Amino acid sequence: MNAAAPEPKANMGQPVPRYDAVAKVAGRATYGSDMPLDNPAYAFLVTSAIARGRINGFDLDDAKRVRGVIDIITHENAPDLKESKLFSNGGYAGTTIQPLKSADIAHDGEIVAVVIAESYEAAREAANRVKVSYTAATPSASFDSPGTTKAAAKGQNAQFKEDPQVGDFAKAFDEAEVKVDAAYETPTQHHNPMELFSTSCVWMGDDLVIYEPSQYVYGLKNGVAEQLGIDADKVRVVNPYVGGGFGSRGSMTPRTAIIAGIAKRLNRPIKLVPTRDQGFTIATYRAETRHAIKLGANRDGKLVALRHEGVEVSSRADPYCVGGTKTTTRLYACPNVDSLVSIVRADRNTPGFMRSPPEVPYMFALESAMDELAVKLDMDPIELRRVNDTTNEPIGGKPYTSRSLMGCFDEAAKAFGWSQRSAAPKSMSDGDWLIGYGCAATCYPTQMAPSAARVRLQRDGRTRVEIAGHEIGTGAYTVIAQTAAERLGVPLEQVAVFIGDSDLPPGPVAGGSNSTASTCSAVMMVCDQIRQRMFKAMMPRQSLTDKAKETVGIGRTPTMQAAKSDRTLDLERAFDALGVGVIEEYGEWKPEGAPPDSFKAMHSGHARLVGGAAMKDKIAYAFGAEFVEVRVNRFTHEIRAPRLVGAFAAGRIMNPRTARSQLMGGLIWGMSSALLEATEIDQRTARYVNDNLADYLVPVSADVPGVEVILLSEQDDHINPAGAKGLGELANVGTNAAICNAIYHATGQRIRKLPVRLENIEV
Amino acid sequence: MSGNSSSRLSGFDRRAFMACAAGSALVPMTARAGALDAPAPVAQDPALHVEITLRVNGQDKRLSLDPRTTVLDALREHLKLTGSKKGCDHGQCGACTVLIGERRVVSCLTLALAAEGQEITTIEGLATGDQLHPMQQAFIDNDAFQCGYCTPGQIMSAVACVKEGHASSDADIREYMSGNICRCAAYPNIVAAMKQAAPEITKG
Ligand code: FES
Ligand code: FES
Repeated sequence: MNAAAPEPKANMGQPVPRYDAVAKVAGRATYGSDMPLDNPAYAFLVTSAIARGRINGFDLDDAKRVRGVIDIITHENAPDLKESKLFSNGGYAGTTIQPLKSADIAHDGEIVAVVIAESYEAAREAANRVKVSYTAATPSASFDSPGTTKAAAKGQNAQFKEDPQVGDFAKAFDEAEVKVDAAYETPTQHHNPMELFSTSCVWMGDDLVIYEPSQYVYGLKNGVAEQLGIDADKVRVVNPYVGGGFGSRGSMTPRTAIIAGIAKRLNRPIKLVPTRDQGFTIATYRAETRHAIKLGANRDGKLVALRHEGVEVSSRADPYCVGGTKTTTRLYACPNVDSLVSIVRADRNTPGFMRSPPEVPYMFALESAMDELAVKLDMDPIELRRVNDTTNEPIGGKPYTSRSLMGCFDEAAKAFGWSQRSAAPKSMSDGDWLIGYGCAATCYPTQMAPSAARVRLQRDGRTRVEIAGHEIGTGAYTVIAQTAAERLGVPLEQVAVFIGDSDLPPGPVAGGSNSTASTCSAVMMVCDQIRQRMFKAMMPRQSLTDKAKETVGIGRTPTMQAAKSDRTLDLERAFDALGVGVIEEYGEWKPEGAPPDSFKAMHSGHARLVGGAAMKDKIAYAFGAEFVEVRVNRFTHEIRAPRLVGAFAAGRIMNPRTARSQLMGGLIWGMSSALLEATEIDQRTARYVNDNLADYLVPVSADVPGVEVILLSEQDDHINPAGAKGLGELANVGTNAAICNAIYHATGQRIRKLPVRLENIEV
Repeated sequence: MSGNSSSRLSGFDRRAFMACAAGSALVPMTARAGALDAPAPVAQDPALHVEITLRVNGQDKRLSLDPRTTVLDALREHLKLTGSKKGCDHGQCGACTVLIGERRVVSCLTLALAAEGQEITTIEGLATGDQLHPMQQAFIDNDAFQCGYCTPGQIMSAVACVKEGHASSDADIREYMSGNICRCAAYPNIVAAMKQAAPEITKG
């Protein structure tokens, strides 16, 4: 075994290679824009040069003269599309700003025209020749721009339900022996998945097929149908592989219905592959945030008061926010808590979910402040977490279903060599390099959503699993295949998995780290339906006790964990007894606490995530601890992060290989959120300046010398049948704080605004 | 502020402009277009296709292409070889990396016309029948990808990197593979995969 395939510990599946590995290394995995189309026309977008104002008119003469141009669509001749509500407010859309609807411009880079041509080259040429005349107004770019408005998040965003509070914060903070009162800031960031925001729309009569990278095919199918005003059964979204999502593809963007409408009118398949820079404004992003944290503690480190105020930027049109106080007010024991989240509206495109939406910015603030508190107390930061560790969250007193936070700290500290750290700032160096060690906690809510699945078993053991899940790089194919193989007791190689198609039984949005828990719980349930049918046929007189349901496996692979059958079934005989050629079962699973309309919502593409802090009498989170070494050059102030070590506990680990990879990628994302990534905004024009992969810094291989992932064994029987907490968004939380804490240790300088650039260091 | 301003042209940064400039310089030398008809206000007329032959994965492919077509778009849109990916179209991400001869090149910045007469190898041409190339197998063994979108480019780049002699240390691999972005950040596994495959490739 190599490092990529860690030996499974208790409550972990096998580290089998990815189901889709050969397709991916052979170039045979077909992403949205890889789908062959019959005689497609090509679309190219023209986007606005102003952030606020109106279009006076177009000069299209030059563009139309480009040979091969078929049509140019503007708001004057665009297909009529209905509006869709914001995803966070019960709709499908990532933005309610609907381009090509009127002459009004709501943000820089809004789609103002679509050129359709016989070739990509002609469409691009003509798009560059479209001339737009505007009347521009002065836009408000961000927090400090004149003309913005600010209001509490509660009441305007349906997903933001509460500003958690308990006790008497003001009094407790006033009386606290040791205090931290600090402000933090995180930047605008763009997901930049490697696959562009393409879409291809093909009509066959009244039926529409959409090939598009999506993290929610049922949401997209229903959303586009709503916008086009057609029956959702007429729309099919297909994407067996998605070239990265990170939250950018969970909600519908305006481009899809626009292209679908044009394709219908022209009666021809249309393929749109937007440019990288257009992706910065035609989809969502992580908005900049500001935080004011107040911590009060006793001399022994026990927290007595905590206040977290967050402010986030959104568009004029939409009240989007991530609102991470639901996590930060519950992480540590503290009797007096206060919080408030507000939204500032500016002339921007609407932001959206980006990998660990609330926790990346909000935990940066809290975990930086905790480090500041540890310094004031002259206490080891790990011990400060230990003193404030808790089995029950402080707001409602609900118990954590399981919580391995300190276990993670201890394991990671050991692997990292934390004991080698000399606590005083600027006390460690190596030649020209100042060395700093830092750590921080991570946590992420355990979330689940209703999911359906269909499983078909043949006489020869071949199994087919169908579920409209999504392979965005998480290993969805692999863990679904493993789950079915284990539950039915058939060999893994016999299992075929079909996902990424809205004609399959509905699965949840691939977001909020709920996919594995939800889809695998559904697959387990449907596999059990098959086992029960066979059991009944073979042993009609046996009562179908729970014990029997548990123990009757099909018994082809006795070594498999689930085939712990005390009575194995002969497959041929079971089929004979049933008198059928194949057994096929469909089932719908919903998590505990799911709202009554869950299954209806599941079919109509409305995500109903439950879990985390919102559970009735318990609270479920995955936890981890992250340690980093930074090196800051005394003279150049160059900052490197040569070592990232994380230990994580997330319930059952379905596959240690895919889990490790995802956590490793997360740690690198976390480092990047501290040291590299920021979308720069021109304050005068409210425009993203570095909207390409050369200027928007994402990590490259040279940025990540050493990453170590430790998986802790953890069992949690109170969350979902699969026992999985989800870990796609766990590892990149807290890393940014750990890096700044390490920079403080290296230099004595506390940095509270991300990203940290060498010009911010004042050694 | 009022009046005319031009629309926001897409992708016109300095790098793209230089690529276009290089492209227009190449066209007159290699294009075999027919005579220009009627005075055209548009300099580059997409109707004026050129006939070229590209040698891809050991096979000659006759194509009639708009002279502005890149190798990447020729592969993807005209030859149905969609293994090579478009991640930026600007030479910034490496997703489109193919081999031209022994060299790794970003096919989005290479005009098809400029690649005529040269051996192009894409991810589809790397395996021998069902037998995966050692680098492909090493990527599987070391889980060197997640979403897989950057993977064809990573693998082509990795093969060339080893042959260039730039895979002798971890630091070397990291430096010489830094033109290939992996947003899923599979980098440590990619380095491990290259270390596994390198000896097999250099001895083969
Ligand atoms: S697509 Fe060619 S380098 Fe990005
Ligand atoms: S595997 Fe997703 S970008 Fe590299």
